[in-house]
Amino acid sequence: MKFHSDKLIPVVAVAVSALAFSSAAVAVDADAAKQLAKQNNCFKCHAIDKDKDGPAYHKVAEKLKGKADAEEKLIHHITSGEKAKFPDGHEEEHKIVKTSPPHDEAQIKNLVDWILAQ
Amino acid sequence: MANDKPGAIKRCWTALRKPSAKYSLLALLVVGFFSGIFFWGAFNTGMEATNKLEFCIGCHEMRDTVYQEYKETIHYSNRTGVRAICSDCHVPKDWTHKMIRKIQASKEVWGKLTGFVDTPAKFEAHRMELATHEWARMKAAGSRECLNCHNFDAMSPELQKQTPYKKHMKAKAEGKTCIDCHKGIAHHLPKEYEEPDDE
Repeated sequence: MKFHSDKLIPVVAVAVSALAFSSAAVAVDADAAKQLAKQNNCFKCHAIDKDKDGPAYHKVAEKLKGKADAEEKLIHHITSGEKAKFPDGHEEEHKIVKTSPPHDEAQIKNLVDWILAQ
Repeated sequence: MANDKPGAIKRCWTALRKPSAKYSLLALLVVGFFSGIFFWGAFNTGMEATNKLEFCIGCHEMRDTVYQEYKETIHYSNRTGVRAICSDCHVPKDWTHKMIRKIQASKEVWGKLTGFVDTPAKFEAHRMELATHEWARMKAAGSRECLNCHNFDAMSPELQKQTPYKKHMKAKAEGKTCIDCHKGIAHHLPKEYEEPDDE
């Protein structure tokens, strides 16, 4: 069987880009996400697997699992100061997560993706 | 012939111990008084000069690392325009503790001379060690420098969000001070730092 290079190139390109996109979707830098969470005192109110003043990240991920806008929703939640509901029923603005350098969307996205992967 | 002339130090000491035959006691007191004011003023001016932000970032070790991080925080820029500079948090205000801290800081001069953290990579490698020292100093002092501006009793339950207010009052009741919970507020936390699970 003979391969024609002019036909092979587009096939390889599609395969490589598919691989690149799929790995980008799962490539969460867990260390960077946890460091950002630590720096923003997220763990004062949240833990990975148990509820504190805020819900466990497991629970957050579970709640948003399968929703197309999960990432977008969570990004909005931690960057807009929208109200969060507490166990005793009162509502309070959620802390706005800050990055260094400021307003680094990639760091926020990485943190959100890490939370959703819990 | 043996030379029995006393040495320079001994002659100087003898002269200092001898009562003045030339100047009146009043003249000596007046000169001593004003010299005292002058030297005290010069000493304090020197101390204050080393408390300025410009002095702290005069060396690249601080300017390229912690200063850049501090500029992104609320202690540098905020709604009310109140700024806390390096010395506000890292140097005690009262004289005795300030002098002790300044003497300790002479070790930092040695660090500068020997290039202890003369690159950002070296600084990062020592960040946990440096931060641990400063947290220990703050803890031992009961967060004294934080308390120059912050106070549990001045926190308003109406103006502070309910959750932090509740945590602050709990911390107060437990005898905690600011540094027990607030670490890395003006600089990045060291990567090795692990948040204690206090719930």
